[in-house]
Amino acid sequence: MSTSSRDRILAATQANKPAETLLPTVPDFGGEATPERFTAVLTSIGGTVVWLDGLAQLGPTLQQIFPDARNTASPLFPAAIPVDALTPNDILADIDLAVLTCEIGVAENGAIWLPEANMLHRALPTITQHLVLVLDHRRIVATMHQAYAQLPSMGGYGKFVAGPSKTADIEQSLVIGAHGARSLVVLLY
Amino acid sequence: MNHAIRADKFLLDADRTTWHDETLWFVREKRDRAVYAVPEFQELRELASQIKDHTLSRLDLYLQEFEAAALANGVHVHWAADAAEHNAIILEIVRQQGATRVVKSKSMLTEECHLNPYLIKHGIEVVDTDLGERIIQFRDEAPSHIVLPAIHLKKEDVGDTFHTHLGTEKGESDPQRLTEAARQHLRAKFLAGQVAISGVNFAVAETGAVVVCTNEGNADLGVNLAKVHIAAMGIEKLIPRLSDLGVFTRLLARSATGQPVTTYTSHFTKPAPGREMHIVIVDNGRTQQLGRPDFRASLKCIRCGACMNTCPVYRRSGGHSYDFTVPGPIGAILSPNIDMKKHSSLPFASTLCGSCTDVCPVKIDIHTQLYKWRQVLGEADEIPASKKWSMKFMGRLLASPKAFALSGQFARKALRLLPHGLTHANAFNAWAVARELPEPPKQSFREWYQQQPQQIQQPAQPKVTA
Repeated sequence: MSTSSRDRILAATQANKPAETLLPTVPDFGGEATPERFTAVLTSIGGTVVWLDGLAQLGPTLQQIFPDARNTASPLFPAAIPVDALTPNDILADIDLAVLTCEIGVAENGAIWLPEANMLHRALPTITQHLVLVLDHRRIVATMHQAYAQLPSMGGYGKFVAGPSKTADIEQSLVIGAHGARSLVVLLY
Repeated sequence: MNHAIRADKFLLDADRTTWHDETLWFVREKRDRAVYAVPEFQELRELASQIKDHTLSRLDLYLQEFEAAALANGVHVHWAADAAEHNAIILEIVRQQGATRVVKSKSMLTEECHLNPYLIKHGIEVVDTDLGERIIQFRDEAPSHIVLPAIHLKKEDVGDTFHTHLGTEKGESDPQRLTEAARQHLRAKFLAGQVAISGVNFAVAETGAVVVCTNEGNADLGVNLAKVHIAAMGIEKLIPRLSDLGVFTRLLARSATGQPVTTYTSHFTKPAPGREMHIVIVDNGRTQQLGRPDFRASLKCIRCGACMNTCPVYRRSGGHSYDFTVPGPIGAILSPNIDMKKHSSLPFASTLCGSCTDVCPVKIDIHTQLYKWRQVLGEADEIPASKKWSMKFMGRLLASPKAFALSGQFARKALRLLPHGLTHANAFNAWAVARELPEPPKQSFREWYQQQPQQIQQPAQPKVTA
């Protein structure tokens, strides 16, 4: 680390920058904030949306979609593997289903905001083989502008998740399940 | 060696060239569909352009705001004037941990700084974890595209590579099974990683956060399983406000691959308890580019790759023909800033059709800058003598109607009389290497016009009354 590099970079930036221009105000473009739109877009990028008839239906619904899940992790029901911020990597590696609550759904692109506070462990949403996110349908907004407007504080870590992990790095062939979760199910209630 | 000579090598395999061309055009078409589905897309481009212009105009202040916010978040902030300092800082952080295993997600900056060979030379294992990057790392190649690093390879090539390095069955070329093999291989690397290095898509001045966008989830896995996260960023990655991400996240993936958004848009603000987060802020020629009024707009680039996918030259010459970390039109305006002599042929690897400018999500005037670099290179005597003198000659010729008419007469005759082998000899006429000259007309338009009867009346001029 070099203090002089810091000073040199800042000095050169100040000396070479152009005349100041205005920072524009970004308007709210409106848009369609419906569960139908959200569902259509998320489905088109490989996610699955299932309507939950109230949170009481969570257990039976999961049982139906993932009958073979053994190593589950979730704050929403007594899961098989207790996970917290200190859970070691080798235990995380064996989790096959994580069920977490998420905060905001974005209808235009199927993205879902998942803050650190809801993750149990920062790595859990990507290392689990399958990911289920539970979303209150009243939290669906139209665009990313509206989503960020609802996120005044980001916390230490958080992410938008839009579908399962995927890649097209081999000949542009789409493959679902690159390194992160192989599937994403959103349970809307 | 110049771009044209390297492109010749790529063009030797005609089928592959055609595949490359069509595949990238397909990505361009996906981009169009995604863009047309957003009614306000052009307004978003304008907003993104203005936000980036504004950021560059106060960059020193935003850098300090970002640094202060990051420090308050408990993040270590480092400054690197050049590639060597960037590499040394990262090695030092790795050594302080006593670490030998590093996992890395996609970062064009670390490619630019040649970080991997540097760390490996110092005994550190570096594993690229983006699938495309892992493929080319096995093959000891450079990425040929900033978003699709292995787009120059066919699935059979990947199959051969994985057979050698991962023990997959010989001849296996199914993308699903090859990806699964990489998943298993890299999972072990993620779990064992001690330090994770990531790039940065956006750095938010007001919060001190860095935002990383991936489809595979490799950045999130690497960073969140390792004890230490190092994020490397150029000074131009800054944006002022969290809300500006609303604009850029709507543009990036649509422009890059035609997706509505990347699968993961991850915001790293503070380290997890008991862990460390470092941000390395790098200049490496960027402040110099900021000082070039004609070319500073290139610093607005958000690395979506749309200009490559649309470029008729890139699609038919391949990323390696540019021999620069960032290929394609944007690379051709960034590279002469770094080394004018070495990259002098790149601004000429363009038809100046302007398609790159049309698709750029932050409205960089790429083709205008390509044209301007040509002027700069000409002034600096960095263009081949044959090009320089033929341009001078043509300039004189086209400026004189008499000389132009005479040489036209001569050329029409010569083309008719001289043998094809001479008029199309590659040694004299580079234009005719893959093209036929047109059949020479008997006379020029001016000659024809002078032979026409003169009775054609000029239309009456309207009378102007005071």
